[in-house]
Amino acid sequence: MTARTTPVPYASPADEERDGWPQWLLSTDHKRIGLLTIGTALILFFFNGGIALTMRAQLAQPGQDILSPQSYLQFMTMHGTGMIAVTITPLALGLGVYLVPLQIGAPRIAAPRATLLGYWLYVAGAIMLIWGFLTPEGASTGWWGYTPLSNSIYTQGPGQSLWAAGFFLAGAGMVLQGGTTLWTILRLRAPGVTLMRIPVFAWAQLVTCLMVFAAFPALLAAMVLVSVGRIDPHLFTSNAWNIGYENLFWFYGHPVVYVMFFPFVGCVAEALATFSGRRFFGYQGTVLSLLAFAAGSMAVWGHHLFASGQEINDYFSLTSILLTIPAGVEYFGFLGTLFGGRLRYTTSMLFALAFIPQFLVGGLTGILVGNPTIDYHVNNSYFVLGHFHYTLMAGSVFGFFAGFYLWFPKATGLMLRERLGRLHFVLMVIGVNIAFIPFFILGYDGMPRWMATYPAGAGFTTLSLISSIGAGIIGLSMMIFAYNLWISARLKVPAPADPWQGQTLEWVTSSPPPRYNFDLAHPVPRVRSYAPLLDLRENARKSG
Amino acid sequence: MPFQSAFHQLFTQDATIAAAVFLLVVMAMIGAFLLSRRRRKRGQDPSRRDKADRLETGYVLALAGIVGFLVYSSFAANAREFPDPHAPLRVQVTGYQWCWRFHYQGQPVTVDAQCNGGPLPTLVLPAGRPVELDVTSVDVVHAFWVPDLRFKMNAYPGHVNSFTLTLTHPGRWIGRCAQLCGLYHYGMDFYVQAVSPAAFDRFLRSHGGTGTS
Repeated sequence: MTARTTPVPYASPADEERDGWPQWLLSTDHKRIGLLTIGTALILFFFNGGIALTMRAQLAQPGQDILSPQSYLQFMTMHGTGMIAVTITPLALGLGVYLVPLQIGAPRIAAPRATLLGYWLYVAGAIMLIWGFLTPEGASTGWWGYTPLSNSIYTQGPGQSLWAAGFFLAGAGMVLQGGTTLWTILRLRAPGVTLMRIPVFAWAQLVTCLMVFAAFPALLAAMVLVSVGRIDPHLFTSNAWNIGYENLFWFYGHPVVYVMFFPFVGCVAEALATFSGRRFFGYQGTVLSLLAFAAGSMAVWGHHLFASGQEINDYFSLTSILLTIPAGVEYFGFLGTLFGGRLRYTTSMLFALAFIPQFLVGGLTGILVGNPTIDYHVNNSYFVLGHFHYTLMAGSVFGFFAGFYLWFPKATGLMLRERLGRLHFVLMVIGVNIAFIPFFILGYDGMPRWMATYPAGAGFTTLSLISSIGAGIIGLSMMIFAYNLWISARLKVPAPADPWQGQTLEWVTSSPPPRYNFDLAHPVPRVRSYAPLLDLRENARKSG
Repeated sequence: MPFQSAFHQLFTQDATIAAAVFLLVVMAMIGAFLLSRRRRKRGQDPSRRDKADRLETGYVLALAGIVGFLVYSSFAANAREFPDPHAPLRVQVTGYQWCWRFHYQGQPVTVDAQCNGGPLPTLVLPAGRPVELDVTSVDVVHAFWVPDLRFKMNAYPGHVNSFTLTLTHPGRWIGRCAQLCGLYHYGMDFYVQAVSPAAFDRFLRSHGGTGTS
């Protein structure tokens, strides 16, 4: 293996001192790049969440003008594009940049300068998006940027152009980060770490990166098309270009929802296995299902276009519903791990456990909207908002927090406060479900997306108010989370190398790990399965 | 009305299956919690079994059977929705920023209005007779959605989407634009009204020429 030729260096004292800003911002250490990516995305999570709370305030009652229609559309565009392009996707891939080399026993990430460039392209993209949001006639066409609405006839001002540039740059940055993570998994595994011995999280990252490679170029092309429309809008008087843009956009737009999903499935799998005290159940089936899911995800984009009247309904309904099989296999692994385990209900485990039924709501309603007959009614309604907020917020974000509470001690060397973590969890479960269950009913009853306000007599008032209250509770839970970070950083309770009885290689090294991940004090042990530390403990018990 | 009945039949069926699956998973989780508690009380270690290939294979086969049924239902329902795109009565439905225009083909009748707080346009149709709606747009993409009829169709510039609608009984339903189309997207509402054939003929005569409704 390649790693054999790279002697693992000692952590030198100079390494320990490298903690100034320039050393952080220009570091080629994958751990720093990963933490920068995750930290930036977390700040933007608060920002885009604040945007969402403002929108929920506007919609809490009919006919309000907290936000003008123009501002509402700008807020909504920022929330959607911001969460997808510069928050959840970077969280998903940033976790891989940080964890994958550790999990496969590699001293570094492949092509670290490209990874760093990916981070800075992402930052530039985020700045451009926010800049476009702050201009008086900001981007206001939603995160799809459909033509001809997004061309310069119907959306004037520089905001929409900055939006396209920002979306493009952030997407390009993610291609670089995903590419280097993929290369790392394929080429830098430690001796003995075969592909069938990497942790479930690393497999989830591998298939995620494959999807990034296959789907994100379509986003770049789509943003070029939007830019052309900013220069010569008359291109989009022809239907072929408009429906072409829609297909191109969703060729990225559907796989990206799995890019924002699989890494968090990996987090949940690791948390479930760790806190059940046993290895993840049905590893091979899960690996196969991840690969099948990634392949299938490239063939379902047309289900976003059932109502376009220009799509092959049966084909895309078939491919979409077929994804039920790999998704079901993943759930088999989750439940199989829980059965026969001795569960420890840490904060990380609680988030992982809540992920299972909550994501299921998003997944099952996803099967419903995979039927053209049902989609003709609920497409572009609040029902679909409910569906994908259950997958992204009640699913992926919960998976992220399962991973965050699991690996925070490893990355920082500090423990978080467990009781504050539980409070964060409880409030978030309550808030998310109060906020998003009403969406299903509102959509079924005929409330379209993208409404800046609604009339009092439309029957949307009560449920909208309930949803806004839920959003407020989510906001409160995030304040608790921020307080937990702040107080834990002040109290500085040191984390041991392995606070949870972990099973994978990152727990063998110190918290935080040395510059090149493993050193003579923390060597990579023999790896004979995807849970090498569990093997060691079991062998020790047998012989001792 | 094929849209409504196809929707309700399929939605009820699939939502029931979904609810059953959800309950099964939640019950399995509760079962796992109870087993874990028993294991802890008895001081047993976690199970060391890491796979159950035959069980999983059987599970996948069962899942594939369910998926096959769901796909079949999807195809069958979709096939019911568009019996015949051509009907003798045709109405051209045109979306524009930010209202709707309904033109009755072969008749000097066009319905237009202002939307957005002003009067809403009403698409008057004869109950019991199939009507072909030709949906298009003159500027950006809109979507013609009548929630109570459980159907929507996008309106594209430079392209016509046609479908046939038969309203079985008289009534009046709200319609909304379901595709983000700019600043006043939220106010682009309209009505669909089904009237008796005699009343429909009176409507066509009284609106000969131009007219708002």
